[in-house]
Amino acid sequence: MLELKGIFKWVNTGGNRVFLLKDVDLSVKEGEFISIMGPSGSGKSTLLNVIGMLDDFNEGEYTFLHEPVHTLKEKHRSALYKQYIGFVFQAYHLIDELTVYENIETPLLYQDIKSSERKALVADMLDRFNIVGKKDLFPTQLSGGQQQLVGIARALIAKPRLLLADEPTGNLNSKQGEEIMELFSQLNKEGMTIIQVTHSEKNASYGTRTIHLLDGRIDN
Amino acid sequence: MIRNYFKIAWRNLLRNKSFSLINITGLAVGMASAMLILLWIHHEMSYDNFHLKKDRLYQVWNRYTVDGKVQSWPATPKPMASAIQRDYPEVEHTSRVAFLPPVKIDLGEKKFYGRGKIVDSTFLDMFTFPVLKGNAATALNDVSSIVLTEKLAASIFGDTDPIGQVLKLDNRDNFKVSAVVKDPPSHSSFEFQFLLPWAYLRKLGGNDENWQNNSVDTYVLLKENTSLTSIAPRLKALRQKYDKSDPDMEAFLYPMSRWHLYSSFHNGKEVGGRIEIVRLFGLIAGFVLLVACINFMNLSTARSEKRAREVGIRKVSGAYRTSLVAQFLGESMLLAGISGIFALVMVQLALPFFNELVGKSLALQTREPLFWLFITGFIGITGILAGSYPSVYLSSFKPINALKGGSKASKTLIAPRKILVVGQFTFAIVLIIATIIVRQQIRKAQDREMGFTKDNLVYHFTEGESASNYRLIKEELISSGTALSVTMTSSPVTENWSNTWDIGWKGKAAHDKTLVSRFYADEAVTRTLGLELVAGRDFDLTNFPADSGAALLNESAVKHMGFKDPVGQVIKDMGREWHVIGVIKDFIISSPYHPSEPMYIGGASGFFNVIHIKLNGRNPMKENIASLLSIFKKYNPEYEMNYRFVDEQYARKFADEQRTGTLATLFALLTIVISCLGLFGLASYMAENRIKEIGVRKVLGASVLSIATLLSRDFFKLVALSFVIATPIAWWAMHTWLADFPYRVSIHWWVFALAGLAAMVITLVTVGFQAVKAAHANPVKALRSE
Repeated sequence: MLELKGIFKWVNTGGNRVFLLKDVDLSVKEGEFISIMGPSGSGKSTLLNVIGMLDDFNEGEYTFLHEPVHTLKEKHRSALYKQYIGFVFQAYHLIDELTVYENIETPLLYQDIKSSERKALVADMLDRFNIVGKKDLFPTQLSGGQQQLVGIARALIAKPRLLLADEPTGNLNSKQGEEIMELFSQLNKEGMTIIQVTHSEKNASYGTRTIHLLDGRIDN
Repeated sequence: MIRNYFKIAWRNLLRNKSFSLINITGLAVGMASAMLILLWIHHEMSYDNFHLKKDRLYQVWNRYTVDGKVQSWPATPKPMASAIQRDYPEVEHTSRVAFLPPVKIDLGEKKFYGRGKIVDSTFLDMFTFPVLKGNAATALNDVSSIVLTEKLAASIFGDTDPIGQVLKLDNRDNFKVSAVVKDPPSHSSFEFQFLLPWAYLRKLGGNDENWQNNSVDTYVLLKENTSLTSIAPRLKALRQKYDKSDPDMEAFLYPMSRWHLYSSFHNGKEVGGRIEIVRLFGLIAGFVLLVACINFMNLSTARSEKRAREVGIRKVSGAYRTSLVAQFLGESMLLAGISGIFALVMVQLALPFFNELVGKSLALQTREPLFWLFITGFIGITGILAGSYPSVYLSSFKPINALKGGSKASKTLIAPRKILVVGQFTFAIVLIIATIIVRQQIRKAQDREMGFTKDNLVYHFTEGESASNYRLIKEELISSGTALSVTMTSSPVTENWSNTWDIGWKGKAAHDKTLVSRFYADEAVTRTLGLELVAGRDFDLTNFPADSGAALLNESAVKHMGFKDPVGQVIKDMGREWHVIGVIKDFIISSPYHPSEPMYIGGASGFFNVIHIKLNGRNPMKENIASLLSIFKKYNPEYEMNYRFVDEQYARKFADEQRTGTLATLFALLTIVISCLGLFGLASYMAENRIKEIGVRKVLGASVLSIATLLSRDFFKLVALSFVIATPIAWWAMHTWLADFPYRVSIHWWVFALAGLAAMVITLVTVGFQAVKAAHANPVKALRSE
């Protein structure tokens, strides 16, 4: 599905070049559930952002669904991630001024989908995550776990083929975290490709493969 | 999608109440100010546009070259109209308009007063004053016909049909009402309550054929499909054909579209006129609105940290930049819409005061679809103006940075926001300086030595028998103790009615065409008006009957005529000799902003229109007036006595400048209020954003004062910069404004210092409040917020 080859990413601070990613090679197949682990500052989130095309890299090749991402223009690249990738964040990042329903609907608004169809899609999602009763509440009225459920629902509504999750359970207690991981595992069984960043061995164990990062390098 | 934008905009509005309140208040005040000015500008621009034939209508003006300088003025001789009609086939119609003083109108026992004009019978055909009753074509044919306006007709006749009714004018002639026309609208150059036919002037013997007597206005209607350029060159020959005495004088046609706004000539060329004020206020309207929009821009971008996350989420969810720009523009539109509604309410409430201020009767044309179209457009433009920069700025965030939430920009003032604040304060400081200087100029002119005493002085325009019974009236006024002194004069002491360069004295240079003012008085003129005699004596017909041919000179005249020993000299004017018997100090008869002109006061052989009465200051004013009215009633029973206080008339000379001063003050205040609102909001956001820094500093031992200073310092720098920019702009603007007044204040440095200080104090109060509040906050709370 995607392939990274010799990816380097660095920043220059005060004459020194600090490497965030160093010669990363990674190949992900359709249907995998990969966990990226590593200590703080090892480049986990950076790698995830590079995969999600939210962040640039300085050197190397990145092929996503047969498209050479490193040669694409910004506009093309964003079109690509908007179509195929869903994001889940540690801090949920819901829009406070929108209800649960509207938050989930948001990605559809940017993809010329008819209102009736949108309604059906959002209703399905609410149903599936058992949050129909909460659809008119605002994010601040929900618990962390519920907010993350909404976040995942929103990431999935546009039917992405790859789900990227940056410490999705980082702000949750263990019970809520477990539920989220169960959900991920379930999604993966249904065929969704997932890449998550996590600190916890336990969460990583839900995945099919674990990658360890240390100082920007894959450490196997 | 639109609904989603609207929803989020609305919820944002409700969630951030203080932000919304500041924004809506600022925008509404700015929009209301701009709307008021635009209403006034619209009124000014629409002058005379209701005439259906406006594109073909012209007024005849004169051009006269003296000493290489060209003078232009609109009065023409009476025979000119028919000469034009006869000699130029392009001309469809001409009409003359002669001035009439206010006239008493009697219907049986009932008395009314009205202002009218004497016009040719073609007047109603050329100009669009729709006839409501009667026949327009024949209404002004008969010598004894009168055309009334709707209002005057209603006040005289009420509900009865006025057509065919007979009115008596000025106790003399009877007129039959031939037609009723609509009242001239407020944007009409012609103002009148009734029209009389030219035939009546002929009957009075006032229709002279003298080409040198420029006494009436002449108007021309060109035929369709003719152009001014074809007739203009040939019109130059007109005066020479009929009047060879002055080869330097020629006539030209001045189009109606330019009458109201552009008719200020210097050396034969248009030099602006009212349009300059219109432009100036247009500029002010634009700036006030801009200042309000800047508030919105600053506050929106200051809040960017909060909105950044939303931008990030939306971008990750698939939003393109254009859709985000649209969303933010939608928000500013919504806000502008709400503000616009408040602004309309404010305008409606403020209109009575504003109308009084500008001397108009402006109104919101809420029944016109065009008005609502304009309002919509106005709101749209405001929304786009206010939302342009924030939408571009906010939508530019990279999602990765936005979601990390580490946008440093909002912690301090960023460059564009600084520029905007500087813009606001520059404008505010310029207005403060302008306000001070305009007020100084008015004060200076008011404090100027008038040269006469206006207290207890009233005047009366003679009418009916008040002139013929003048002697009796005067005697009784003095013997009853009502007046100390009474003098008959040619014009009010506050108005210069006559001047001439055709005046002779011993030693006058051949090409001297300096204008000398004329003023006539029978007796005791220095005593009644309180003029100061510096040589010789006043007129005294009892002891010196020959004083009817005597004259007093003012000091400027003595200087100009070069008399070493003025008393005993002779001047020639009005076809006779005047013997100088005294010299008076200059007094202000025309503009308090101009130096006094040479003037002579001729004796009882001159012409007379006005009685000046110096009332006895020891009696209560009420008693004096009652006695005045009863004495006039006794000797002029058919008329209500008209009287005016000289001090009130004198004060009117300052009306225009006072209006400018009041408007400048008003808009300066509004600008300051709006700018301060913005500053207040900005300061509170900055304090909020720096809450952690403040906490750390406090824990480390910083005092409240040092923190307040830290938070205010940036703003003070900006205000100081604004002051530096505003000073030369204000100096230039006020220098230009003052250049119109020969008698003017000089611009002092302390005015600028005062304005700068005022701006600093205002900033201190606005920002300081927020800064001290932030500095007083509990540091533990602040640090826990991370």
